[in-house]
Amino acid sequence: MANTIISHGITVEGEITSEDEVVIQGTLKGKLSAKDAVSVEAGGVVEADIAATSLSVGGQITGNVTAKDRVDLVAGGRLVGDVKAARLTIADGASFKGNVDMDV
Amino acid sequence: MARSVGNISQGNTAIIGKGAHVRGRISGDGDLRIEGGVSGEVAVKGSLSVSDGAEVTADVQASSVTVEGAIEGSVSANEAVTIRATARVSGAIRGASVSIEEGASVSGKIEADFELPPELSSGKGR
Repeated sequence: MANTIISHGITVEGEITSEDEVVIQGTLKGKLSAKDAVSVEAGGVVEADIAATSLSVGGQITGNVTAKDRVDLVAGGRLVGDVKAARLTIADGASFKGNVDMDV
Repeated sequence: MARSVGNISQGNTAIIGKGAHVRGRISGDGDLRIEGGVSGEVAVKGSLSVSDGAEVTADVQASSVTVEGAIEGSVSANEAVTIRATARVSGAIRGASVSIEEGASVSGKIEADFELPPELSSGKGR
């Protein structure tokens, strides 16, 4: 089980910093930085810049995201913002608007 | 905005994990467990538990509150407030009932209907 879970129905307005995995099923407005994986699951709404080792997007994100390792936009996921990551996948059914920087 | 998604159960407990810190406001319908740090404000409609090792610098409000960690700020619950032995609370505590285990350190006003144990009520007037 993930270390930190912002579950459905919960709203965080502010900044989250975490050494471990973070799962967002609810709402986050502010900023999120984690030294582990972050996943925004279906139903999750994030208006925040995110920095993590990896990021999986099944919900909605408005904000710039930076991942050390990878960003995966899964079906149903929606990302509006710039992506900076070594790897990026966008699944069929995901939507994305923004710039990609793969640091080449 | 709120979509009902099959695999998400409404009664999920939100968790602020050991290595996590939240600066700001946490609000919402569900239950919340704080194992890490929170500074700001917490207002949830479900139950709130502050685990041993957690550091909360915030006024907290929930239906019921169980404290094993440290809270600096007021604690307010519609139902029970339970202060466990490992807890440190500095701030006002308000609840329909408030219980404090031996070993807990509490400084602040307590607003609740309760009876002091005999050894306390005989020693101090109020």
